[in-house]
Amino acid sequence: MSSLALLFIICGLGLIAWLTARARAARFATRGPDRRHSLPGQHGWYMAMWTAIPALLFLGIWASVSPALVTQEVLEAPAAQSLPSFGFQRDSILAEARAIAGGDTFGAFNDEAAALAPAYGAAQSRYAWIGTALTLLLAFAGGAYAYSRVSPAFRARTRVERSVMILLLIASLIAILTTVGIFVSLLVESARFFSVVPITDFLFGTHWSPQVISSTDPGESLGAVPLFWGTFFIGAVIAMIVAIPFGLMSAIYLTQYAAPSVRKWMKPVLEILAGVPTVVYGYFAALTVAPAVRDFAVAIGFEYASAESALAAGLVMGVMIIPFVSSMADDSIAAVPSAMRDGSLAMGATRSETITKVLLPASLPGVVAGMLLAVSRAIGETMIVVMAASGAATITLNPFESATTVTKQIVDLLTGEAAFDSPKTLAAFALGLTLFLITFLLNIVALRVVKKYREAYE
Amino acid sequence: MSDMMPSGPATPFAENRAPTDWTSRAMTRRIRRRYAAERRFRFFGLAAVILSACFLAFLLITMVSNGLGGFMRHEVRVPIDFARAELNVTPEQLRGRGADLALAGAGLEELTGNAARAAFGPNGADALATSAWTEVRKALKDDPSLVGRSAAISLPVNADIESAIKGSGSPEAEALLSRITAADALDSGFDGGFLTEADATDSTAVGIWGAVKGSLFTMLVTLVIAFPIGVLSAVYLEEYAPRNRWTDLIEVSINNLAAVPSIIFGLLGLAVFLSVFHLPRSASLVGGLTLALMIMPVIVIASRNAIKAVPPSIRDAALGVGASRVQVVFHHVLPLALPGILTGTIIGMARALGETAPLLMIGMRAFIATPPGGVTDPATVLPVQIFLWSDQVGRGFVERTSAAIIVLLAFLLAMNALAIYLRNRFETRW
Repeated sequence: MSSLALLFIICGLGLIAWLTARARAARFATRGPDRRHSLPGQHGWYMAMWTAIPALLFLGIWASVSPALVTQEVLEAPAAQSLPSFGFQRDSILAEARAIAGGDTFGAFNDEAAALAPAYGAAQSRYAWIGTALTLLLAFAGGAYAYSRVSPAFRARTRVERSVMILLLIASLIAILTTVGIFVSLLVESARFFSVVPITDFLFGTHWSPQVISSTDPGESLGAVPLFWGTFFIGAVIAMIVAIPFGLMSAIYLTQYAAPSVRKWMKPVLEILAGVPTVVYGYFAALTVAPAVRDFAVAIGFEYASAESALAAGLVMGVMIIPFVSSMADDSIAAVPSAMRDGSLAMGATRSETITKVLLPASLPGVVAGMLLAVSRAIGETMIVVMAASGAATITLNPFESATTVTKQIVDLLTGEAAFDSPKTLAAFALGLTLFLITFLLNIVALRVVKKYREAYE
Repeated sequence: MSDMMPSGPATPFAENRAPTDWTSRAMTRRIRRRYAAERRFRFFGLAAVILSACFLAFLLITMVSNGLGGFMRHEVRVPIDFARAELNVTPEQLRGRGADLALAGAGLEELTGNAARAAFGPNGADALATSAWTEVRKALKDDPSLVGRSAAISLPVNADIESAIKGSGSPEAEALLSRITAADALDSGFDGGFLTEADATDSTAVGIWGAVKGSLFTMLVTLVIAFPIGVLSAVYLEEYAPRNRWTDLIEVSINNLAAVPSIIFGLLGLAVFLSVFHLPRSASLVGGLTLALMIMPVIVIASRNAIKAVPPSIRDAALGVGASRVQVVFHHVLPLALPGILTGTIIGMARALGETAPLLMIGMRAFIATPPGGVTDPATVLPVQIFLWSDQVGRGFVERTSAAIIVLLAFLLAMNALAIYLRNRFETRW
């Protein structure tokens, strides 16, 4: 029986359990000395939980354990004695035998696989039946236990509510688990990388060419400084030169000058800029902006302008970040008490003087925090640079030259054909760890600043 | 400022100054300058807003004008004389279910090629797409009476002729095209196949249905995982959590997860779901799991705000008539907060739908010519399909890429519009 069908059966049994316990509890007295403690529905939930949860847990464990058990049994079959001991070939024969047994394929490439298939089929069906039987047994046993406890005095409500509480706690722990998972998985793979490549070579080396990694000194061609520079140059310099003036001035205009009806329409329009998928920006950058930038560079006299310039990627990324900067600036300007603004206006200052001399200084921490968040977003942005930036790692100040970024290199390193544990693929995890730590720090600082600042006027 | 310097005897400074002559030349010039600065500042603000909107308009107009052609295909009308070809099938055979069987051995491919050669010269058949004969089969099934007579049938052209139509084809294709236009047989029509087919190597035969189906499966997995977990943890944090270091830790992780670059989630999916749990590579299941972890913080934050907005008086009233805390949450608070929760969920789902980078990490960039049948089949999603096609600029994929972008943007705009509608329709102010 497939696990999907079993899943449905368990859910059905849970429903039956719910109805049964509820019907029984409904007949208890509602008044008098031996009146029931909990509502019928709560008894129902109690029994449904005992029916479904142990069975589901077992099913999950069984699904992850049983393939190994099946393989174990097949290897003890007489036909398995002729298997080669070499790991990779052995695995492929076993996989093929499994496919034949499952009916996914018709012909066998290896004779051994065809010989093993019946053993595989037998073992699979046996373990499937054992699993089904045990699951159903658990469901019925759990249900029977819960049913035996349904009585007027039984505190089903307390039990059910405590379980709900545990469920809620587990759900909220998943955020921590994800954070830990990210950190641990990056750390483990990076540790493997740094056991091959010295960490100083990676952090301070200025030569990056992962296509040819020498086996004697892999660190020599894996120096990430050009990537850090390119990321900083594209994401924190060029993109911000576009995003900060546009974002800040838009926020100022929309909060201070624009009529409410204009504001009502323009704000969502700007927000659409943030909702456009980055792959669309990347396509736009590669197809329209990059050639235009190159033509412009040639026209003003740069002979070696690259078609994959840092400027093209940075410009488009800056446009993408505009709504982000503007909404952060919008929030922090709105948080300045209106008494300060009114006071300045009453003293005879013009609106622009009020904005630049009173509102902006007062909201500066919030605005700066918004910019930090925008930078962290820009350096983590991937698709625009994958499609519009170049793969050549250079350290340059000329925006018309090509530059590459950390995220682009991660994609390039991991979508190649290399084996999973070569220095080349592991380098991607080291880059990912660096990126994670940098954005993490930027976010922590920005969130701290925002939090501290928001409380200042309340 | 100099007044603050302790210079000379301390006298009230008003006595040291003559009354300001507001009408003096210096003063009027100064005021004029200040007003000019004010106007300039205001103009810069307006310019920033308008230019940002122009960027968006330029992006959209570029995509739409490039992409509309991608929904169209060029067709040639080829006169085919079915009566003389002696197809060996009767109209009756074509009416039932056996139509495909009856036509299978009828030599339609050859018949189509011959008709094109007869109409446009010896290399006339080179103008047609390889799948052109299936259109003939379809025409015969639609109208069995064709068997006994001749008719002109519109057939799709291949990529060579497509590029010749745009003025960049090979000399042979140009010559063939001029013969076709001389016969006045060139048409253009809506390409239904673009919406119903999957990826292919030939740009005239590709479609986005495979990618759309992959996106739907991925979104389904994402929703099933992220929505319950997100809502339940929001309920825990808002309604139950004691204020201590553990809940602070949970809060900090959620806020930070919301700002972690998406590609990092791809690395997580690669290292955990593929390497540790050995889930199938490039399947919607893994893509959905990865995206679910990515958008869960968005749902948590939106749900917390919605739950926070439910006034305490409702909780107090329910507790006052004897409801338990679980009953308060599930019978009263959650139903009232639901519109806000749904709005946040839709926005999160829209973000997941447009995401590409994490899916590249887990291998969803393969060439997949059959739409997936389930969540464990190899699949691709719409943004990744766009990324894959964008590499093939030289092979007539520019229009197709832009057309796929139009479809993706239409989905996203629809989702955002739904979110805004929900917010406006159900927003309650207590």
